[in-house]
Amino acid sequence: MELQDLSTDVLIVGGGLAGANAAMGAAEKGARVIASDKGKIERSGDIGGGVDHFLAYLNDNEQWDTQDAFLQYVEKIGLGTGHLSILESVYCAELKDSIERMARIGNPLTQPDGTFYRTRSMGQPGTYWINFNGKKLKPCLGQAVRKLGCTVLDKVMMLDLLTHEGAVWGGLGFHIRTGDFYVIRAKATIIATGNTNRLYENPRINPFNTWLCPFDTGDGQVMAFKAGAALTNMEYMRMTLLPKGFAAPGFNALVGMGGRFLNSLGEYYMEKRHPMGNRAPRYDVVYHTLEELRSGRGPVYIDCRHLTEKDLAHLMDSLGYDKDTLPDYLEQRGEKLRERPVEIMVSEGMQAGPTEVTGSGVKIDRDSATSVPGLYACGDAADHNRCVHGAVTGGYRAGKSAAAYGLSMRHFPGTSRPGLREEIEHFMLPLHRPAGYPYRQIEDAIRKIMAEHVGALRTEGGIRRGLEKLSNLERHLDEIKANDLHELMRAHETRSLLQVGKMMGNAALFRTESRNKPYHHRLDYPETDHERWCGLVVLEKKGDGISCSFEPIKARGKG
Amino acid sequence: MPPVIDYTKCTGCGTCDSLCPADAIYMEESQEGDRPYLKYPEECWHCGSCRQDCPEGAIEIRFPPDMLCI
Repeated sequence: MELQDLSTDVLIVGGGLAGANAAMGAAEKGARVIASDKGKIERSGDIGGGVDHFLAYLNDNEQWDTQDAFLQYVEKIGLGTGHLSILESVYCAELKDSIERMARIGNPLTQPDGTFYRTRSMGQPGTYWINFNGKKLKPCLGQAVRKLGCTVLDKVMMLDLLTHEGAVWGGLGFHIRTGDFYVIRAKATIIATGNTNRLYENPRINPFNTWLCPFDTGDGQVMAFKAGAALTNMEYMRMTLLPKGFAAPGFNALVGMGGRFLNSLGEYYMEKRHPMGNRAPRYDVVYHTLEELRSGRGPVYIDCRHLTEKDLAHLMDSLGYDKDTLPDYLEQRGEKLRERPVEIMVSEGMQAGPTEVTGSGVKIDRDSATSVPGLYACGDAADHNRCVHGAVTGGYRAGKSAAAYGLSMRHFPGTSRPGLREEIEHFMLPLHRPAGYPYRQIEDAIRKIMAEHVGALRTEGGIRRGLEKLSNLERHLDEIKANDLHELMRAHETRSLLQVGKMMGNAALFRTESRNKPYHHRLDYPETDHERWCGLVVLEKKGDGISCSFEPIKARGKG
Repeated sequence: MPPVIDYTKCTGCGTCDSLCPADAIYMEESQEGDRPYLKYPEECWHCGSCRQDCPEGAIEIRFPPDMLCI
């Protein structure tokens, strides 16, 4: 194990879709870039294996296909969960260039004939989903990032940020195969670590069988919080609908093509329960599906039998774009979309944005800057980026802003870290304990507590009890034993999960209303109160604790 | 055991080991040289990256019974 001392203009923590776009944005502005990832950037993150959808308006003559109509849609499905002025800057202003950039790097959002294949779901006023084959998107991006001369640190897990007088100047991490320790001095740092996906008890048994990448464990959110950055929207526990048994995405494609939700009584329940039917916003579909299951009308299915041969053929072709192995799964399970409905289920909970257009995590402004000088955030780790479209646009925006900041700094804010050796030894401790608990044992307890106390139905008493249990469990974090570097990585992920859980619990307790049910559904405050709670719950570090405050969001046309 | 490696096709190039986002695939020594094996099968996310990028087409995805039968 060696100590690697590096310096750069911009350090990027997390090389998924957002981090890779951030690397491009920073490098194309002339900054020196180091991009780190626990995996290899060509295949890491939520869309490592592929993706099939990108949300966009294209200014293509239709009234709904404009920026103004898009922002109206954001307000309709996500009122109180994001500032439109920030979305205008980190998404709208970057959209056209981002679509062109994906084509430039070799994975266009168009079909082979050059047209966009567009579908509609989730409360959209028109066909905002661009359906495309994104199986090579990450390999193309990885190649583009390396071609720009960025230093890529694959298989490096960042553990903490370097801070000096309230500013961030880089980070610390280790190589999960060699054990080499990295001290990276950076004039600007970008958090791009995705959301938190292994945090709730998994209804499909295995905690790694998650909708979004199970290796996204909120590491960046926790580092940013510790460095003094504010976080928002942490109360929302996102869920979706998935094929029973396999947490593969595909919901967009199935519903977008016209799939209908069915219960075990043979009723198309969304068509009875919601004016928008199967194409209602995601949180409404999940809410009503949970209600069906709670009422004993499960199992639930998605029915695609009525689709035309042409639509079914497109669906079968494109299902594997979003999750490469989903067609294998359906085949091995004996499912046939054209012959019978496919059983689905509600996913595990996760720390992620309450809508497709508003996020959860590190609070950013119009420049993708956090509340801490030198620190930026993007992608699912940031509170105003969400999904594929948010990562591509917001990532690039964060890269440009961080480059401008970094290049304007003549010196590093800090130069040395007192007690660095001791700190490194502390990070490595789980490896050297003669005995201890496997990380999984602690993690399973976190997931159980989160599901039972900070889950889909919440009360003040329940959340308080959950927070108490997390605090009790926290005392055992220093008793985790890692047998190798792989387990050391997982042990640090376990630490992140517990901290994210505490943040979610605190935010959920603070917001005494319900919003975007079932993502934040307080049984003791079941109504949505736009008068008092239209805005963001802001979390900040206060001593060893968490402080909560409220930041209102004004509806459009109201000043 | 999601990725199943066909050792008659595998050349031991290490592509799957280097790109697996789960850090689940490692190389081991064998009589025929280094070859990959699935060290942490439970942590596989079934992303299919190993199969997509295997230059020899030596990887097949086989879902375990708990995922196929619940």
